[in-house]
Amino acid sequence: MPASKRRTPVSQPGMADPHQLFDDTSSTQSRGYGAQRGPSSLGYPAASASPQAAFLADPVSNMAMAYGSSLAAQGKELVDKNIDRFIPVTKLKYYFAVDTMYVGKKLGLLFFPYLHQDWEVQYQQDTPVAPRFDVNAPDLYIPAMAFITYILVAGLALGTQDRFSPDLLGLQASSALAWLTLEVLAILLSLYLVTVNTDLTTIDLVAFLGYKYVGMIGGVLMGLLFGKIGYYLVLGWCCVSIFVFMIRTLRLKILADAAAEGIPVRGARNQLRMYLTMAVAAAQPLLMYWLTFHLVR
Amino acid sequence: MAFTLYSLLQAALLCVNAIAVLHEERFLKNIGWGTDQGIGGFGEEPGIKSQLMNLIRSVRTVMRGIGCLLAVPQLEGWKIPGPWGPCN
Repeated sequence: MPASKRRTPVSQPGMADPHQLFDDTSSTQSRGYGAQRGPSSLGYPAASASPQAAFLADPVSNMAMAYGSSLAAQGKELVDKNIDRFIPVTKLKYYFAVDTMYVGKKLGLLFFPYLHQDWEVQYQQDTPVAPRFDVNAPDLYIPAMAFITYILVAGLALGTQDRFSPDLLGLQASSALAWLTLEVLAILLSLYLVTVNTDLTTIDLVAFLGYKYVGMIGGVLMGLLFGKIGYYLVLGWCCVSIFVFMIRTLRLKILADAAAEGIPVRGARNQLRMYLTMAVAAAQPLLMYWLTFHLVR
Repeated sequence: MAFTLYSLLQAALLCVNAIAVLHEERFLKNIGWGTDQGIGGFGEEPGIKSQLMNLIRSVRTVMRGIGCLLAVPQLEGWKIPGPWGPCN
């Protein structure tokens, strides 16, 4: 960990518990219902005059039910224990801890990042604060939703030109995912080659790269409504916004020590990192154009 | 313009194979990229060239084991079920 990393300890009045990602929405209603299902693990009524009661009262089938349910519980335990090895579920939950205000502010930031002053993510006891408390934190909700919306809008655009068929949707999705994977791999490779000591995780990178889908959706929708002129205008605006957004965000992650003092970067190492940041940011508008130009005629 | 996940997988496999077959003695030494020519000091942080040399060496090591297993579906021409693309 670089010693010059800035950590801004924060105590906001609005934060109840910094380690709690989601609001507690359990209510007494669900607890009461749970108590009702008490004695039998499968929740069947204890004894009734219905014809199924005779079948259930049979001791052999009772045992079979109990065995089956215990087997299911064991399996569930095994999956829960091991799922963390393949998919980092707890880490993923952080990226989905968003609320409406955060989404609104972030979308505004993606379309107009020019007035925002402080781009640093706030930390709380050495872990980054959940996205709902800090608009600078990356999240996966917006990229995921934007990706799915992009697929649907692409289908809509193809449909208005009589070029639609269902497997084209799968092809669009696969193509966009392939470009995203290629971008992530290329950036990870260049980060390795330039030996940047950064706390930019892979999931963070996927989140940042997923933000361009928002601009793409805007461009294609405007292209559907107003033709090519509208498409180029809105896409141009979104391209410049994403470029500025990416530079300002990545500058803090990749050029951490230089950006902290706010001085213009000097020296071969810092220059290389600056070039890398610019290259990543410049790739976004290019990909935005490449993935949408065939949808607007 | 069918750039699918499967074609990405194929391209990645071909690239990794290309890196793995760079011969140490006949080729890399002649252009000064051999693994025994690059180990700098410990204090300075490694430049791009030594990172690349490390990468080539590790790709070669990994490909000799796991990578050959990964190449089998492509070489055998197996059809993997799923919406991967028209070439599958």
